[in-house]
Amino acid sequence: MAVTIRHYHRRRLPTGLIAKHAVINLGVVIILLPLIWVLLMSVKSLPESYSTNFWPRQFDFSHYGFVLTRIQTLPQNMFNSIFVTLATVAITTFCAILGGYALVHVKLPGRMLLIWLLIASLFFPTRLLSLISIYEIQRQLGLLNTVVGLIFPYVTLNLAVSILIMRGIFEQLPHELVEASRIDGCGPWRTLFLVLLPLLLNGIVVVSMVNFVGVWGEYLLAVTLTNDQATRTLPVVLASAHSGMGQWAYPRIAAVYVIAVTPGIIIFALFQRLYFKGLTEGAIKL
Amino acid sequence: MATVASRVASAARTWRSTYRLSDYANFLFLVPATVFFVGWQIYPIIRVFVLSFTDYKYLERNPPNFVGLQNYINALNDPLFHVGMLRAFAFTVAFVPLTILIPLVLAVLIDRVTTPWLSSFYRIVLLIPAVIPGPLVFVLWKWLFDFQIGPVNTILVEWLGLFTRQTAPQWLGGTPLSLPAVVIMEVWWGLGYHTMFFLAGLAAIPKDLSEQARIDGANEWQLFWRVTVPRLLPILSILVVLRFGTAMSVIDEYLIFGGFQRTSPTYTWTVYMYDLAFRIGDWLQGYAAAIGWLGAAVMMVFVVGMLYVFRSRD
Repeated sequence: MAVTIRHYHRRRLPTGLIAKHAVINLGVVIILLPLIWVLLMSVKSLPESYSTNFWPRQFDFSHYGFVLTRIQTLPQNMFNSIFVTLATVAITTFCAILGGYALVHVKLPGRMLLIWLLIASLFFPTRLLSLISIYEIQRQLGLLNTVVGLIFPYVTLNLAVSILIMRGIFEQLPHELVEASRIDGCGPWRTLFLVLLPLLLNGIVVVSMVNFVGVWGEYLLAVTLTNDQATRTLPVVLASAHSGMGQWAYPRIAAVYVIAVTPGIIIFALFQRLYFKGLTEGAIKL
Repeated sequence: MATVASRVASAARTWRSTYRLSDYANFLFLVPATVFFVGWQIYPIIRVFVLSFTDYKYLERNPPNFVGLQNYINALNDPLFHVGMLRAFAFTVAFVPLTILIPLVLAVLIDRVTTPWLSSFYRIVLLIPAVIPGPLVFVLWKWLFDFQIGPVNTILVEWLGLFTRQTAPQWLGGTPLSLPAVVIMEVWWGLGYHTMFFLAGLAAIPKDLSEQARIDGANEWQLFWRVTVPRLLPILSILVVLRFGTAMSVIDEYLIFGGFQRTSPTYTWTVYMYDLAFRIGDWLQGYAAAIGWLGAAVMMVFVVGMLYVFRSRD
């Protein structure tokens, strides 16, 4: 079979083959070029950063040290981002596991209605509309301008999607497994935590990634609900640091940027196999 | 196989038909999610709906008065709201086709890459933008579009020689080019994710189908339109509706790219709503709420219409 396909290509599509790889590689270059640019910017010397050279003449790695030690609030901002992200990912994943389980493997009156509500919420501009009153709620709860306060609205950002993804994962698990576990005397809670949890790894990876990406860079709520430099998260700091002068000279912001973007790419690289598997099992079906 | 399927089906049937009181205890599983949903999504949205019938101003001490439909009437006669809606539509019309078609072509091409390591390399590269959070993408592109140091202009001026340093395009700061700038950025951001979406859909198309079509003499073009596109139609249509929704309610990138300049093509109804609610005067949140609900209602009309057109007919 493989032989016939290869033969087919060689006979009729040599230009097509080249064109195909050319188009794909153009896509690859377009995706990578901006990221390489910012990486190179972060190692340019200060005077050179105002030139239009793509490749720096001289590498200057001091900016990373500078931003971490000399910009006073930056370690705090980084801590804020890490804290909010970890807390939100943990809470949302927990809620999504319980929710997905409830929607698939236990008896639940009105289950289809709930599923339709979750799907419908994906089409509605919830985040935008709720913003006005979230501000009021946060003030009444004393959560305005606090880092902890951000966690509550953040959990809801991707909760519906997360539950639907987990539902897709749970649907892959055989009902017989749940039945067997029940016959062996496990209640629904013990079935979930003792029998099913180890089988959910793909789903947990996907849900964590979705929430990580959503929260690590969240801007609108963070810029609205926090005020002080000390309670800001990294994206807000980066978006407001546009002067290009002094401590925010371009190579320095670029260094902060690289620091902000790298964790996501590393996590993705580590988990990509599980991620793709989980994506095809759960996310695509919704 | 059939017996397993029927056993599962019958198990599912008995499972659904009889509910006992104790089954309601299973709602405990949904309690954590419900707390967050109700507190930070459902209640705020209802509250915003209620506010939209009042003259509520956040910074004013007097209690708000009920004004009936006045906010909605004002909004319908508000030129800024009209322009804001039109700008959002302009962005959507430019963005949605590009962000669907380019990844579709890319996915069809990558799907035919038979070298395993090359195909997984492409997939990994494609997903890199998808793991960069949106606002960080916006910040990056703000620098890329920068008039002086931005590589976009460097490429146009020094590599391609299309402009000189003086006549180079001014992408940011509320110029007419701000809209295409946001479109380019958004397409870049969605490139990988949407391609992966389509690749998953393409993987579900049986290979014999395209083989058979080739044997029957179909060329690649016919194959694409007669086999691939119809098979991808469910994914395609759901993606169109979802992207329509996100495109119409875009706000972060407009705030980062254009700020609150009213003449900027990025000052859409969403930015106007934010401006009213958190910046103008005493924070006119009652009026902002009406703008928000009105915009959402217009969106929903289109979403429901599209879902109706795209409904599965089999």
